[in-house]
Amino acid sequence: MTKLSGEPVIRLVDLQMSYGSKQVLNGVDLEVYPGQIIGYIGPNGAGKSTTVKIMLGLVEGYRGEVHVFGQDPKEGGVDYKKRIGYVPEIAEMYDTLTACEYLTFIGELYGLTADEAESKARRMLHVFGLEDVFHSRISTFSKGMRQKVLLTSSLLHNPDVLFLDEPLSGLDANSVMVVKEMLALLAEQGKAIFYSSHIMDVVEKISSRIVLLDGGRIMADGSFEELKERSQEGSLEQIFNQMTGFNDHEDIAARLVSIVQEV
Amino acid sequence: MREMRTLRVLDRFAGLFERMGVNYTVMRRILQVKLTMDARRVPILSNRSKKNQKDTPDESNQFLRSLWLYVLFGGFSSTLLLAGDNYIFHTSLLFGIMMFMIMTSMISDFSTVLLDIRDRNILATKPVNRRTITMAKTMHIFIYLFFLTGAIAIIPLVVGLAKHGILFFLIFLLELLLMNLLIVVLTALLYLTVLRLFDGEKLKDIINYVQIGLTITITIGYQVLIRLFDITAMDVTFKPAWWQVLLPPIWTGSAFQVLLQPGTATNAFVLLAVLSVVVPLIAFLAYLRLMPALERNLQKLAEPGSHSGSKGGGVVRRMARLICSTPQERAFFRFAWTMLGTERDFKLKVYPTLGFSIIFPFIFLFSGNFELENLGSGGSRMYLLIYFSGMMLPTIIKMLGYSSQYKAAWIYHTAPLENMNPVYKGTLLACLIRLMLPLFILEAIVFTVLFGAGILPELIIVGVALQFYAIISFLIMGKALPFSAPFESMQQSASVRILGLLLLLGVLALLHLAALQIPYGGIIYGVLLIAATWVGWRKAFAVAN
Repeated sequence: MTKLSGEPVIRLVDLQMSYGSKQVLNGVDLEVYPGQIIGYIGPNGAGKSTTVKIMLGLVEGYRGEVHVFGQDPKEGGVDYKKRIGYVPEIAEMYDTLTACEYLTFIGELYGLTADEAESKARRMLHVFGLEDVFHSRISTFSKGMRQKVLLTSSLLHNPDVLFLDEPLSGLDANSVMVVKEMLALLAEQGKAIFYSSHIMDVVEKISSRIVLLDGGRIMADGSFEELKERSQEGSLEQIFNQMTGFNDHEDIAARLVSIVQEV
Repeated sequence: MREMRTLRVLDRFAGLFERMGVNYTVMRRILQVKLTMDARRVPILSNRSKKNQKDTPDESNQFLRSLWLYVLFGGFSSTLLLAGDNYIFHTSLLFGIMMFMIMTSMISDFSTVLLDIRDRNILATKPVNRRTITMAKTMHIFIYLFFLTGAIAIIPLVVGLAKHGILFFLIFLLELLLMNLLIVVLTALLYLTVLRLFDGEKLKDIINYVQIGLTITITIGYQVLIRLFDITAMDVTFKPAWWQVLLPPIWTGSAFQVLLQPGTATNAFVLLAVLSVVVPLIAFLAYLRLMPALERNLQKLAEPGSHSGSKGGGVVRRMARLICSTPQERAFFRFAWTMLGTERDFKLKVYPTLGFSIIFPFIFLFSGNFELENLGSGGSRMYLLIYFSGMMLPTIIKMLGYSSQYKAAWIYHTAPLENMNPVYKGTLLACLIRLMLPLFILEAIVFTVLFGAGILPELIIVGVALQFYAIISFLIMGKALPFSAPFESMQQSASVRILGLLLLLGVLALLHLAALQIPYGGIIYGVLLIAATWVGWRKAFAVAN
């Protein structure tokens, strides 16, 4: 594990959550410290986004302890959200607004003044290469442009914790490098980054700590080197397959191809 | 983003909101964003027109521009107030009409406001307290409800003030407010119930049908309301009955009766009048508690719908095999069949049109002074009015070219098709059989009842004529690939082509009438039509390429 500096910014103790009869989280324990980039991985339906939504106060009815900057979302206070930046998986935005209008609005919700928010948004989009479309409606943007707006909106207020769900989706190779580098710099300055993704190569490279969730439980928690040692596999992808008990990919692929060839 | 007058009015109550634990500055900002988005609700075409979109000057709200329709409707309804001072009857009826209009518009126009799931991800993740978000949503609905109610009630209010005096006016205002509360609560309850029992897709379907129903009601409603004078002339005596407790408009009527004619106030009236005040207030309190539950259930809207099932797939398949000549044509027939039945935007635009198609022949039939008894007596050729059920065919065929998912039309170009004939033909067939045929059969049954079974052979000829008409309409209107252009790109102006096609429909009806004047004329006309239609189905689509 990487260096632990000071107090944890996030602390989950025996977190459990169920939708109806379906148990989604089965006792998750996790502490996150400043400066960590946590690769939060797991198969679909493992409970990754539920964890994030609980910490953001979007989902209620959980059992166990949740502390974000020492505050419990259940208690209804919202101040802790000022220190969180969030990029959801589905790029939902009010896309009939222009990038300028949207970003200014979001900045104001985080407590910035309209002028501060607009100026910061303008400069960030300029650096991202989107200065020409600052006053165009988001609905006309390509997927990569939307993603850049979304990333900007999560950073305007200089948050201490970032929740990123597939933050690189739609970005071109050059932009991917920019964002990866930016995340590393942000972590260096002591921000905690919670990074969910299905692309194992990226997680392997940028994470200082990897948390693997399966069936609502943490199956592995440690640096990539530690995980590699434990499972005797070479890449995170293989580790992932092994730990989630998935080893029939060859068989499934063969079956698919045999169906394809019927015609 | 512009500064809105509505918000400036709201500013006066800033202190009140702050006292309720709402962060007024943030709420105001959210409302400003929401109203701006509403003004732009008409979606944007495509990337092509990107340049025109920068700071579009035209941001006047579409909704506000459509309000005159409601003013007109209120105007017609207000004639009820002129009819006399039988309050329990007239005001109940008036409130019944207004409540129906407001409730249906609420469901059709504001469902986007109530059911916006983006709010959850965008607003709830920010440091904004929940009360502020809920209040912003409530005020957003309130602002629209205010304009809507204002539009529909302005003329009745003025008429009421002039005819029945200031007290009537004040009661009217108060009851309007209470009924609006009730409507908001009922709508939210409806959504909540549907979301609890079914899934989001079902709710979207229900909203869609309400929208279709509203469009039809508004159009046909004028016809009915104009004739309302006859009803109002009647002297209706009011008998209390238990089921009246279930009808909110009657509560309102009772309130007028009790307060304005205390002499007539029986216990039943007093009870109903009290209900009109108490129920909305209780309901609103319950609503404030239910709001979080609704928000939670809204999540279902984002989830994929559960198994819609492959109902009727076999029937459509058999039908396709029966009437289509090539496998590709069959595929497009089934594809179009499904699209016609499931695309909500398409249904919203087309189904009301079908409604007009049903009533047009009857409007013509009854606008002349026909005695029903004479219709069956033979000799009358009025049944040829059934041709008018085809009036909407050109419009519908034109609509086939549009879709809200127009971008998916790339499949036509990437599929290995030699030409587009099967696409056109399969789609037109599906359109005729799924949309036009049931309508025509319904119409034919009614006409057979009215005119006697003797007209059946003629009706069959009309059926062929309408097919022929559809092919011609297709040739003139619809050379676009089906479902391949956005609705917004549709030309609003009723084109000359549609006018010409309407003339053609009249010509076909007149030809039929003329043919019937000579011996065997009907048969000759029929045979010629069948031949022309047969050629049409074979040749027309190749021409279209």
